[in-house]
Amino acid sequence: MQPAIEVQNLHKSFGELKAVDGASFNVPQGEIYSLLGPNGAGKTTTISMLSTLLRPDSGDALVMGHSIRKDPMGVKSVLGVVPQDIALYEDLSARENLTFWGKMYGLRGAALKQRVDEVLEIIGLTDRQKGRVSKFSGGMKRRVNIGVALLHKPKVIYMDEPTVGIDPQSRRSILDSVIALKNAGMTVLYTTHYMEEAQELSDQITIMDHGKLIASGTHDELVKIVGQMDRIRLTINAEGARVVTAWKSTPGVKQVTAEDGTLNLLVDDSNQVLPRLFDAATTSGVRITSVDIQLPNLEAVFLHLTGRALRD
Amino acid sequence: MNHILDIALNDLVQIVRDRKVFLFLLIMPICFTLLFGYAFGGFSSGGDSDPRLPVAVLDEDDGRFSQELFALLKGSEVIRIETDLEKSRFDYEKALSDGDLAGIVTIPAGYSQAMLDGQPIPLDLWADQASTTGTTVQNEVLMAAKRLASAVWTAQITSQAAGKTADFDALVSEALLAWQEPPIRIEATSGVVAEEEPSQSVMSMAHTAPGMILQFAIASLLTAAQVIVSERKSRCLQRLLTTATQRVHILMGHFLSIFAMLFTQFMLLIVFGQFILKVDYLRLPGATLLVAVASVLCIAAMGLLIGVLAKSEEQAVMFSLIPMFVLSGLGGAWVPLEFTGAAFQTIGHASPIAWAMDGFKNIIVRGLGLESIWLPVAALVGYAVVFFGLAAWRFRSE
Ligand SMILES: Nc1ncnc2c1ncn2[C@@H]1O[C@H](COP(=O)(O)OP(=O)(O)OP(=O)(O)O)[C@@H](O)[C@H]1O
Ligand SMILES: [Mg+2]
Repeated sequence: MQPAIEVQNLHKSFGELKAVDGASFNVPQGEIYSLLGPNGAGKTTTISMLSTLLRPDSGDALVMGHSIRKDPMGVKSVLGVVPQDIALYEDLSARENLTFWGKMYGLRGAALKQRVDEVLEIIGLTDRQKGRVSKFSGGMKRRVNIGVALLHKPKVIYMDEPTVGIDPQSRRSILDSVIALKNAGMTVLYTTHYMEEAQELSDQITIMDHGKLIASGTHDELVKIVGQMDRIRLTINAEGARVVTAWKSTPGVKQVTAEDGTLNLLVDDSNQVLPRLFDAATTSGVRITSVDIQLPNLEAVFLHLTGRALRD
Repeated sequence: MNHILDIALNDLVQIVRDRKVFLFLLIMPICFTLLFGYAFGGFSSGGDSDPRLPVAVLDEDDGRFSQELFALLKGSEVIRIETDLEKSRFDYEKALSDGDLAGIVTIPAGYSQAMLDGQPIPLDLWADQASTTGTTVQNEVLMAAKRLASAVWTAQITSQAAGKTADFDALVSEALLAWQEPPIRIEATSGVVAEEEPSQSVMSMAHTAPGMILQFAIASLLTAAQVIVSERKSRCLQRLLTTATQRVHILMGHFLSIFAMLFTQFMLLIVFGQFILKVDYLRLPGATLLVAVASVLCIAAMGLLIGVLAKSEEQAVMFSLIPMFVLSGLGGAWVPLEFTGAAFQTIGHASPIAWAMDGFKNIIVRGLGLESIWLPVAALVGYAVVFFGLAAWRFRSE
């Protein structure tokens, strides 16, 4: 079976800035594929090119076999897009929005009406359907924003950070609906900077930073990059230069990075290493004020690959 | 195709939800028409659309030549005969002193006979000699009387020369006909009158009504343009471009919505003008419709261009109100271009509003035929094409 999306060496620059710098990946049909990366990584730029809104400087991509360069209409016909910025007519009600967008996706008459009802059910806004979108909360708008892309049951759906800025409950229901989409046979290209989301949803994950794809694979494959290393976050009560040098040479410590007063360490086994860290701190005359131990995860992978934390 | 209609309908729903559109669409044009039409209506009573000076002609002679003179005055481009058999001489004098009449001409008894005898008796004219209006009336009446006298004189000489065989009546008519193309044409334009009180005879409903429709059609663009701008700002436009909707359909949809809005406005205001203000749009319904459609095409295309160009809702308002003032003023929607100099008239016709005004006034003021609107209609459609073309060109890079 051909991949739902085949991305071939896409490049896009804005002036000097290389927003996307040679992206290549395949999204198999029926999978949830995540692009994980911090702000400015180039996720939205990638999505924009794949939805034919932006023309790539070079490279191409096939969406269900349609080239984004040569057959943009073909691409659009198989696509549903949930944009990062909410794109709705604020003066129209939820139902009116869905009805209008349904028409734009080629639905008409009774089929349209029925599908609008279904989507309202999916996004949990059946009882608020007559309310104007301008009066909705951020989370409700997000849900309508997603609903629009589901109307025509597209084969491929792009969701660009659909859970940004909403409460945990709405978020949960959105994540559930993404899983439901997959179960209904759709291919989902999902972008996020929340590693938990990527971890929970994705069949495959690609980590993006500064326009480059720095690693991809399943969650387990990615985590293997950092091996069985644990991650320790520490804060200390003083200027840390001396203790950092001491810790770097402590047996079992693989990496030490400092960021905004927090120290991130990758270590072989936190149970054995932690007491040595405290000893070194005491020797250096520094007090450790907090400790947080994390088992191997995508956060650690990102840290390992870029030297920075995923979240600001 | 369907998408064009869907998009247009979507726009219209949003336009109508913005209540202030009705202010510009109907309320303000009606208020301003009434205000300007009546405040500066001057001589014109109600729906009177005639810019000529009203003059009463009292025929005490009722002879052959008094009727001839009456006919001559009736054909004048400067004065208009206001004769009401119900009214007495006293009524007319009162009207004159109230400023509702520009003059009273009395044709004394025995006028025709005296003319035949070669001893013409003078006409009796009452008008304000000190005002331009008065002297204009005086000149016009004098000229008519002279034409008549000279025609009679010519006929007499000719019939003497030709002997009894010639038909004297026919000779008079012939001599009068010759006057229609006199060797030296005396241009009696109403411009003379305009100098004194341009508003009086000019700012009648027939001018004000179409002027205000056109002006507020442009004002209404601000709501429509805002809908287009907010579609872009809310990223709905981007989203539309991820559906299989073609760019040109989006543009056509927006154009159609503005067209529908303005066409409704024109029709309602024309009906209002016809039946309430007695402006005679329906004298040539087809021609009025054509001029209205051409004007709407042009202004709608302008609205589309504004919507595509404006970066924010505030800009959409500015980009609508500035052309409203400039194009309406320049195009003679306030003060008729006929009463400005030739240079300004030429400049004024850079505004499409001038062409629309020409179209409407050819029908309702000048009483011209269908052929008189082709040029204005062509100019308006030309502007529409240019505006639409610019909008489409700009829209390509969205
Ligand atoms: N239209 C544009 N003009 C100039 N620079 C742009 C434009 N769009 C994006 N960029 C830049 O390209 C880079 C990548 O941006 P992009 O929006 O793709 O990141 P992202 O991964 O989606 O980030 P976020 O998580 O904040 O949404 C950023 O540095 C951004 O400033
Ligand atoms: Mg983004």
